[in-house]
Amino acid sequence: MPSRITWDVAAASHLLSRTEFGGTPKKAEQLVARPLSDVVAGMIEEAKKAAAPPQPSWVKEPWVNTERVYPETTPMERLENHRKTGQRQVAETDQLRAWWLDHMIHTPAPLREVMTLFWHGHLTTEARRMFVSQALYTQNVALRTHALGNFRDLLGAVTLDAAMMMYLNIEDSDAKKPNENFARELLELFTVGLGNYTERDIKEIARALTGWTLDAPPGTPKRPIVPDAPRAFCRDGLIPTFVKEKHDAGEKTILGKTGKFGVNEVLDIVAAQPATARFISAKLIAYFGASDPNNELRDRMAAKFSQTRGDIAATLTVLLTSPEFFAKESRGSLIKSPVHLLVGTCRLLNLDVTATPSLAQVTAAMGQELFNPPNVKGWPGGRDWISAGTLAVRYHLPEILFDGKEPAGFEPIATERNFALPADEKARREMIARIWDFDKKRREERKKDGFKVSFETAKVLDGAVPEKPEELVAALAARLYVITPRPDTLTTLTEIVRNAPPAERVKLACRLILTTPEYQLA
Amino acid sequence: MLPRIDRRRFLSLGALTTTVPSFLVKTGSLLADEKSLGNRDRVLVVVQLAGGNDGLNTLVPYRDEEYYKARPKIGVPRTQSLKIADDFALHPETGELRTLYDAGVLAIVTNVGYPNPNRSHFRATEIWETAYPDKPVHTGWIGRYFDAECRGIPSPMLGLQLGEKPAMTFAHPKGRAVTLTNPSLFAWDDATSQAMERLNRVVPTDNPQLDFLQRTSNETLALSRKIQDALKDVKSMTEYAPFNFSQSLKVVAQMIAAEVPTRVYYVSLGGFDTHTTQPRRHAGLLQELSQGLHSFLSDLKALGHLDRTLVMTFSEFGRRVAENEQQGTDHGTANVMFLAGGKVKAGIHGGRPDLVDLNDGDMKFQIDFRSVYAAVLQDWFAADAKKVLGTEFKPLPVIG
Repeated sequence: MPSRITWDVAAASHLLSRTEFGGTPKKAEQLVARPLSDVVAGMIEEAKKAAAPPQPSWVKEPWVNTERVYPETTPMERLENHRKTGQRQVAETDQLRAWWLDHMIHTPAPLREVMTLFWHGHLTTEARRMFVSQALYTQNVALRTHALGNFRDLLGAVTLDAAMMMYLNIEDSDAKKPNENFARELLELFTVGLGNYTERDIKEIARALTGWTLDAPPGTPKRPIVPDAPRAFCRDGLIPTFVKEKHDAGEKTILGKTGKFGVNEVLDIVAAQPATARFISAKLIAYFGASDPNNELRDRMAAKFSQTRGDIAATLTVLLTSPEFFAKESRGSLIKSPVHLLVGTCRLLNLDVTATPSLAQVTAAMGQELFNPPNVKGWPGGRDWISAGTLAVRYHLPEILFDGKEPAGFEPIATERNFALPADEKARREMIARIWDFDKKRREERKKDGFKVSFETAKVLDGAVPEKPEELVAALAARLYVITPRPDTLTTLTEIVRNAPPAERVKLACRLILTTPEYQLA
Repeated sequence: MLPRIDRRRFLSLGALTTTVPSFLVKTGSLLADEKSLGNRDRVLVVVQLAGGNDGLNTLVPYRDEEYYKARPKIGVPRTQSLKIADDFALHPETGELRTLYDAGVLAIVTNVGYPNPNRSHFRATEIWETAYPDKPVHTGWIGRYFDAECRGIPSPMLGLQLGEKPAMTFAHPKGRAVTLTNPSLFAWDDATSQAMERLNRVVPTDNPQLDFLQRTSNETLALSRKIQDALKDVKSMTEYAPFNFSQSLKVVAQMIAAEVPTRVYYVSLGGFDTHTTQPRRHAGLLQELSQGLHSFLSDLKALGHLDRTLVMTFSEFGRRVAENEQQGTDHGTANVMFLAGGKVKAGIHGGRPDLVDLNDGDMKFQIDFRSVYAAVLQDWFAADAKKVLGTEFKPLPVIG
């Protein structure tokens, strides 16, 4: 274990950069006045009691399947309903992204969202493979509810829930042919991790999980289905419902335990495994960016996790008060995720922001589309956040956030061809001219209210703007960088700022700071 | 631009052809500046036809009665189809492909597939991109090629994809590819980019993450210059249709001609999942493919880069032999692939599709797609195909 923690302003800034998307020097100074253990306890307490964001207006209780196919539905109706439903789901998912980002930017208890985002990358769902926007919302609520609660409760809430049931085929898994998709990911990615189970465990868990479907609320009259219609066209609700006849009630042996297990017993068994405690602890360490070369911190966290039967807040407390977390190797070692970068910038600079789908698109362009991780493993994070393509987007952030301008190249190069052009040369040329024109108008239309952001110089430094360029740069660097920048960085910033008219200096300096490598680190 | 042209001419006159043994390329590139990397390297352009292109209506077996029996409504009429061989005709909207075929720069491979075909878009695409039909793996075949054969090449973008979602073809823990929706993203105003270059000068520190970011920032800015130069200096020699796929190919041609350090480009044309009203939609898509490829290859020829370029198309699956009730086709199996460029063995590779001996309504494949990949790896890139594909496949003789 590294030596004891020096609890100073730098340490407090480091803590805030990991737990709250960053914090101002003023806030860091306030924290230092209290002991670290009090600070972390207070932060977690605040996060636990934070209010959830209000439910989006398009969420329906109960949910209605607008592309449900009945025997009397004509092929044309079916196509039209499918098309309209698809369009609506895309729009709602876009709004959902903006809804969450907006909450992250404005919440007084950011740790709750930092943890919700952690679980979103762990017990995850890809919108592209499971396009029911309402289920994405419900899963997000479950993740937030249990984000700092009990792991077993969280696992249960996410497992018997529409998004996961659809995504990893728990829905309609039948005793005759159990689907192993969820069982495999449960062990490999969600709980014990590779090397801590056998193929036999997967098969047995899959049997135990059979017999669940998604249905309308109890008591709703059954409606006729069309044989052979895909599941999406005959689902009547999103309520997890047990169908006894399809459940394999026989005896199973899972991770050394034998019994006539169902889903609850399975989750009890896997959640209580020491390997799960280690796996979750290691993932938290990576997410919060602590250096733990000998797994000492991991083992202490795992011990706490097991001893508290999966208390996430208690486990996190061990991490956030550990010497490893505050060690030199841990400082400035975390590459900000796109969401962290965007949300943190808005918060640190007191930007006036209302998140829009366009703003959510910015994190996607940087490689983190909310509700759409690359696959069931979530976002790998770390250096995978950075490539030439994503870094180029990061370096356009000032234009977006300060000027509300969408940089060139944010859209595909041109539209898709949905029809054949006429063979006649003249007619073809006319049509091409019309297409270019249409395309231009469409872009202008979309950009009309793309970003609702505004940069106010007076707000940036809470009103205290130093006059001298070197002092201004130092003040902004203290606010925006969590590490000590390279000496060259400060010299160059000062020199450029000095040559700018005084009224433009604050914005210019912020602009430049955002396009430095130092700013990508937390 | 002038010195580059001179060097290219020099190289083409000398004994050093574009086929340089890979060890030489590696050694050379370590010593040489990045510019010289470009013109010695062969380039592959992967074209994904997403959604499952209907191969039977693309390359039509126009003399086969079984074809017209299976597709009474959506079969391509014999009289309208463009005959290119005894047994085959192209779709009427692909006149430009016939031109390419006649010019000897287009090869068509028929009945391509793999054992136990998967009909899920997601899994089937993954199979083609990873080249592992038997089990899911997390690396793409080009990603593995870069790792196995291109380690010594200092390029921030050995792979370059124009698109949104990173293609699995490039996937690798040591990724060497960049995905861009649009290369214009690499443009900043002059003052900003000058300031950025100063702020991103590499100064080693004791923070490995910061040093990594400094290096990548530098590469990004270098890339930004290259891309901007490519787009500014290389003027397209042909006209491209005003659609995403064609316009993407236009950018790719500019990059190839500017000799940016990229070996594999990846472009997608989507919308081939024609379950309903196929004839109209498929016509538009094939026209885009045909016109796009024609503009692209003509452009490269005029720019003098056709011989170092190979285009390869793929689609996750073909479609069922029989049409469905909604003037469309459902997910099927074996399919056609196109290979185009100055060095392909033009013509049709593979036999006529057998529309009688079917497997549950689907064609049986005759050529494993990995033998096409093996040809690309071995005969085009002079790489060790077995190392990349994990199994030995005899390269299909499509490269001249």
